[in-house]
Amino acid sequence: MLGDIFKLFFENKKAAIGFFILLFFVGIAILAPVLAPYDPKANKIETVEILDTDRGRRKTVEREKINDFEETRIYTQEETTTYKQYTKKFPLNSAPSQAHYFGTTHSGQDIFSQVIWGTRISLTVGIGTGLFTTFIALTLALVAGYFGGLVDDIISLFTNVFLVIPGLPLMIVIAAYITVKGVMPIVLILALTSWPWPTRLLRSQVVSLKNRDFVKVSRSLGERPLYIIFNEMLPNMISLVMASFFQMTMAAIIGEATLEFLGLGNVSIVSWGTILYWAQNNGALLSGAWWWFLPPGIAIALIGTSFAMMNFAIDEISNPKLRKR
Amino acid sequence: MMVIKSLANYTEKKWVRIMNNPEKQTKEDVILQLKHVNKHFPIHTFRSYGAVVHAMDDVSFQLNRGEILAIVGESGSGKTTTANVISRLYIQTAGEVLFEKEPLPEKMTKKEEIAYRKKAQMIFQDPFSSLNPTHTIASILSRPFVIHKLAKGKRAIREGIKDLLIQVGLEPPDQFIDKFPHELSGGQRQRVNIARTFSVNPELVLADEPTSMLDVSIRMSIMNIMLDLKEQKGMTYVYITHDLAGARYMAQNIAVMYAGMIMEIGSATQVINETYHPYTKLLKSAAPAPEMGLKRKKLITKGDIPSLVNPPSGCRFHPRCPYAQDICSKEIPQMKKVDEGHYARCVL
Amino acid sequence: MMDMEKNNVLQIKELKAGYEIKSGFVGAVDDVSFSLKKGEFLGIAGESGCGKSTLAYAIMNLLRDNGCIQSGTVQLNDVNIASLSEVEMKKIRWVDLSMVFQSAMNALNPVLKIGEQLTDAIFAHQDLSRTKAQARAKEVLELVDISSERYDAYPHQLSGGMKQRVMIAMALILQPDLVIMDEPTTALDVVVQRTIIEKIQELQRQFDFSVIFITHDLSLLVEISDKLAIMYAGKIIEFGNAHDVFTDPLHPYTEGLMASFPALTGPIKRMGGIEGKPPDLLNPPEGCRFAPRCQKAMDICRREYPKEYVKNDGHKVSCQLYREKMGENHE
Repeated sequence: MLGDIFKLFFENKKAAIGFFILLFFVGIAILAPVLAPYDPKANKIETVEILDTDRGRRKTVEREKINDFEETRIYTQEETTTYKQYTKKFPLNSAPSQAHYFGTTHSGQDIFSQVIWGTRISLTVGIGTGLFTTFIALTLALVAGYFGGLVDDIISLFTNVFLVIPGLPLMIVIAAYITVKGVMPIVLILALTSWPWPTRLLRSQVVSLKNRDFVKVSRSLGERPLYIIFNEMLPNMISLVMASFFQMTMAAIIGEATLEFLGLGNVSIVSWGTILYWAQNNGALLSGAWWWFLPPGIAIALIGTSFAMMNFAIDEISNPKLRKR
Repeated sequence: MMVIKSLANYTEKKWVRIMNNPEKQTKEDVILQLKHVNKHFPIHTFRSYGAVVHAMDDVSFQLNRGEILAIVGESGSGKTTTANVISRLYIQTAGEVLFEKEPLPEKMTKKEEIAYRKKAQMIFQDPFSSLNPTHTIASILSRPFVIHKLAKGKRAIREGIKDLLIQVGLEPPDQFIDKFPHELSGGQRQRVNIARTFSVNPELVLADEPTSMLDVSIRMSIMNIMLDLKEQKGMTYVYITHDLAGARYMAQNIAVMYAGMIMEIGSATQVINETYHPYTKLLKSAAPAPEMGLKRKKLITKGDIPSLVNPPSGCRFHPRCPYAQDICSKEIPQMKKVDEGHYARCVL
Repeated sequence: MMDMEKNNVLQIKELKAGYEIKSGFVGAVDDVSFSLKKGEFLGIAGESGCGKSTLAYAIMNLLRDNGCIQSGTVQLNDVNIASLSEVEMKKIRWVDLSMVFQSAMNALNPVLKIGEQLTDAIFAHQDLSRTKAQARAKEVLELVDISSERYDAYPHQLSGGMKQRVMIAMALILQPDLVIMDEPTTALDVVVQRTIIEKIQELQRQFDFSVIFITHDLSLLVEISDKLAIMYAGKIIEFGNAHDVFTDPLHPYTEGLMASFPALTGPIKRMGGIEGKPPDLLNPPEGCRFAPRCQKAMDICRREYPKEYVKNDGHKVSCQLYREKMGENHE
């Protein structure tokens, strides 16, 4: 059954394109050290070459003969080395060129390298948060949906309250108060603000599955609840879980960029969001330095598109009426 | 005078038997009893808080081992709820359900529940939704073996599954055992359901309209399989249907339900040939029966099936009954004996 | 002969229709021919997948997307409507022929009053003033035994049977010559079903329109139809007066179908039913399509598709069992 879903998935054009884009970015993230021409934080190239080493003569200061075979000598020797230092400072705020494909920042850092290295952070945070949130949502949904009663009431109350709180402001408020700056807090903040939506969705599906005849039959045969949850209901939820994962990841990638852009993350790490932060802070928009904010922006948009397309494919697979013959 | 060819002249199957109606009960072994069972569902919406759906009211009947009771009714008659109450998917609001002369408690321990489930099984109406679409037939049919410890070891279980498939006519079993439900036809899926139900050797089988979602030509074979299995294993059935003719084919006894109450109950011959209750007469005249001659009397009826939230006062059929009298709207008539084993809820 | 043909409201000749899918063409309707007189009630019986719904849509020229009419003619009052353009069809649909669809009760728009939906049907095909249209809508509601006060009701306020009657009213509103009904009573209780069918018969006698009634419930059709057509795997395998087909079923499939309905009266006997399932219409078998399931199948059945044998009273059957009798009558 799983094999069938995956086969359908890859046969779908949208999914294939989306997956290809994702693969492309994953490749970039993995090969960053090889692909990036410069260190993302460096704003100059400096090389030092030894030209000449001049050794002078030895001058004896003191000599002591101990016996026929041993002797000590103290002497001085001078040495002069000539270096050639080559410094190439990157141009500040320059437009794309041969040397710098995406141009340079206000302080001369190469944007192309920054975007390449930034892929690592953006992807890990995005996919990591997506997985984490989906996992939380699925667990809560299964427990609430299957067991019902008081457990369901509590979890649903919790979910609904969090659902009503606007996500972005909540993210900003929490981020502003956290003293530890880094990637992990961002993952947690994003997970904390986005878990309610897929939880509700998955819970509805669990409840509707619970009322399907084959679950009733399982119960009437005397099957254990754990078996019913994991072996009977969960396989039927795969497409919805995958769709939720894609949507959560998309939201996380954009959420991470947003938080970084607002300066609420760790601005000293290199990610697409921080690039935008520095671009904004240095008036890139005003000065027309489009090469600074456009590449990271397009990268975010592309990754978002990739997940959106894979999501469409899942929709089409689970709802045959949407499929085009 | 027309020579009406009997509808049963197509004898594809090996057996042609005339089943006599056993009005004499050889074994007074009562397996199931319902005594004045009510099932009301409360409505939780704001507007109708406090209102209830009267799905079942004062339902009583008795079933002997080895017999088939058909419960016939239209939508909203309460027949599916009755099956759900017997199988403990719902608990009754009032009255008693006795299985093998023991009343079923409201809350059963896990052990009691599994033991009861082994004895009373249910076959559902929709053959497709009764099978998990993500499991193979082998996986689906292995569960009863695992849960009730009917066989040990993968090979033994697989052999057991193949035996089951042969018993329900899915031969050769290798052709079906590793398929998914959507690869089978409706009739084949229903056979898998039947196989699953019978694998635990239940004593009581509740069949909730098992053929209504199947193609016409397949229905008969499913009904025949159920009759064969019943004869081989001596099982007892409660067979729920909306089709009076199908009920007559399958069952010794028929109960006719309307708006949550039993209106008439008796042997199949009594209920159909010596019909007493006006509702049963209505059902009979509405059912297709081409063998009765091609031009029939026009149906005389008015009104619709009543809402179960606010059922009519007194006899629930009185707004539509051509013989309604004053008293019919005032009191619910009691079940009155019409003949030996034949009862009707009517003042006539 | 020619006079009889003039009397025909509908004449279908060698109609072939089906659906294009990736792996080929599914011939749901394969070489179907029959005719229908004015005021006649034709029942088409067949199981799921036999092509009866496709036939209904083909007659209405409503096949869309990957469905199409491959060949053949559909003569409605001497006009071949299969060849008409969509614009021309619109003028004919609902005015000369109309349809009641399967689960039509679900075809009602839940947010519009039923009166509006009826007048919509009028406005789509005719230019009537609003008052006249309303009056006609109320008139047709009364015809189906729904009080005209219900003009302003919403679909959810009506029962299933009433909704279905609204659909029938909608089909009759412009007084067509032919009404096609695709399983109109299948989702309804047996008493409601009987009431609706009697109403249809009453209206038919009153207004003298022809009806094509499609269903899988053969026992029902036998009671109400004038003529009966049995469809199997895209072909009509038996055709004749309902009474003849019932008392003297010629095709083994018809016999099998008859043996699938337990009787309400008479002795209780074990009955047969039919084993197996219908063939895949993407790749139908050579020869007779029922042969794989037929108890009386012979070698020739699997090789050659049987020619039609016509008995003297118009009772037709396509079965090799009668190939020797072909000499008696010619098609």
